[in-house]
Amino acid sequence: MSQVGNIVRLSFRDYIHEWRMSGCFVFALAAVLAPMMILFGLKFGIVSSMIYELVENPVNREIRPIGSGRYDQQWIDGYRDRDDVEFIIPKTRTLAASIQLRSDTAKRIISTELMATAEGDPLLRNLSNTPQNLFQIILSQGAAKKLNLVRGNQVDASLARQFRGKRERVHLSLKVIDIADASVSSRSIAFVHLDLLLATESFKDGRSVPGLGWSGNSVNEVSRKYPSFRMYASSIYDVENLVQSLEDQGVRVKANAAEIATVQSIERNLTIIFWIVACVGATGFAFSLGASLWANVDRKKKELSILRLLGFNTSKIVLFPVMQSLYTAVLGWLLAVLVYLLFEQIINRLLAPRLNLNQTLCYLISDHFFWAFGLTVVTAIFAAIIGGMRAAEIEPSDGLRDI
Amino acid sequence: MGDIVYSLKNVVKHRIIENAGFRLCIPSIEIQAGENIALVGHSGCGKSTLMDMFALILRPDETDQFEISPVGDKSHKVDKLWQRNKLDSLAQVRRHHIGYVLQSGGLLPYLTVRENIELPRKLLKLADDDSIISISRVLGIHRQLDKLPGLLSAGERQRAAFARALSHRPSILLADEPTAALDPISARKIMAVVMELIKGLKITLITASHDWAHVYRMELRILDQKAGPVEGGRIYQSTFRD
Repeated sequence: MSQVGNIVRLSFRDYIHEWRMSGCFVFALAAVLAPMMILFGLKFGIVSSMIYELVENPVNREIRPIGSGRYDQQWIDGYRDRDDVEFIIPKTRTLAASIQLRSDTAKRIISTELMATAEGDPLLRNLSNTPQNLFQIILSQGAAKKLNLVRGNQVDASLARQFRGKRERVHLSLKVIDIADASVSSRSIAFVHLDLLLATESFKDGRSVPGLGWSGNSVNEVSRKYPSFRMYASSIYDVENLVQSLEDQGVRVKANAAEIATVQSIERNLTIIFWIVACVGATGFAFSLGASLWANVDRKKKELSILRLLGFNTSKIVLFPVMQSLYTAVLGWLLAVLVYLLFEQIINRLLAPRLNLNQTLCYLISDHFFWAFGLTVVTAIFAAIIGGMRAAEIEPSDGLRDI
Repeated sequence: MGDIVYSLKNVVKHRIIENAGFRLCIPSIEIQAGENIALVGHSGCGKSTLMDMFALILRPDETDQFEISPVGDKSHKVDKLWQRNKLDSLAQVRRHHIGYVLQSGGLLPYLTVRENIELPRKLLKLADDDSIISISRVLGIHRQLDKLPGLLSAGERQRAAFARALSHRPSILLADEPTAALDPISARKIMAVVMELIKGLKITLITASHDWAHVYRMELRILDQKAGPVEGGRIYQSTFRD
């Protein structure tokens, strides 16, 4: 067996023989690394979900036109095709966009705001259903509660108008295909297919809707103009450009500029804090690990001297503490990862629901584990090499007779 | 007489012991192959210091000549190797030609007795043969081979230390106070076995001991040693010579 092979074997045997001491080193390493990983995981989890929430929250990405304008379908389609626009859908006049809903299981008839929706609506991003025709409806939580409805129920919708001096009312039976989250809106809102919104407006304006058998004045549908729209930028970083582009066209809009600035500054500052914590933690960890491994080399002085007495080359002797540090690094890291994963589960399963958070509080990506491993191994080997060199520099006779 | 194994001229080593200067002087020592040498003197007279220099693990401060010529190898100028910091060359000589028994045995506590004895052979990549068994049998430790050194008595540990020092068939055996921790009866037994063992192998033995009784019994050549204060008492000087 080569000298290197012998040294690796001997270092391992000694490590096992001194399992109590080795265990202490492993625990000491894990005791520093695991809390750092948990801290890091919490920081990363909270900050990322917070930033994600802020960045993803549709409210922060909404661009609202001020007053009413005249937008045709072509204009709407033009914006829908832009990369920085995630979603755009026309709105009708506010007064025309309401409907009376009545269910068999609730006494009151409630007047509900109508809002057009379609595939990809950020407000309803958590739902898998979208109204596919005029007879499907998604209710806001508030509306569903008032009407005592759940998904799958039928609801009676009615519209009234004064037409040619007569009061008229029409009824539609709609199917509740989903209920929106409470976070979407606290108001009573009915999300419907755009065609239903347009039919409602037509009816209220006294025009006919042949598809639903509603009579009225005939109109030319081709030249339909929308007074407003609901628009969301792809990300908060696109909002500024999009606002500029709309204003260049003479469309006056309002965006949550202040909130966006706040989100961006929070994101920046948290990232800085994140890195400060990471650097301070890593430095402290490196020093504590280095100190304990250095001490180990000192403790091994006598045995290293015996190996040199037996004729091992000095350069090979250094490998002895290096290998032992490597064992400590790998085992300590493994233990720290196990402890971290345990606490991650505890935090996410026990703490997160208590705080009423829907997000993951604590998590690390695989990169972080590799970084922790790399830092541990490099620090361990570095400390052991410095300690080992010191041990190799002294004459082999020194330390031989130490008790 | 045969070949000269160690040839030392005007070798000096300084040490500070308890704030007093200590100087070890070797005006001239020549040791023949196969000779049995004893370094005798009271504690602190520099026996271990000289043993360590013989074992090539302690750097002499001044030398006119320090050569080692192991049987079957060329002559090595040890002083030059130290000066040029050729530690690996010194390690190579140790590995091939020297077996060293420490006062405390110096067995590695994490290896079994067998693995301790095998280690010098493994370092030289010598093939496994029955030499470990036979040397263990002669030294009376063949039943302890699979135990860890910590489970052995002091006497058994020293026997194992001798087995390790001899397992790779070195031509030089150094033993620094090998029996100091033992009772006189065990000490005499062990040394008798060792002397018997090396007799046929033409091994050069150098042993340090402050125990006069063994020395007369075993017919060793005793190096002349004198010690006393010099330079107005500032320095305690010990001299070994042929």
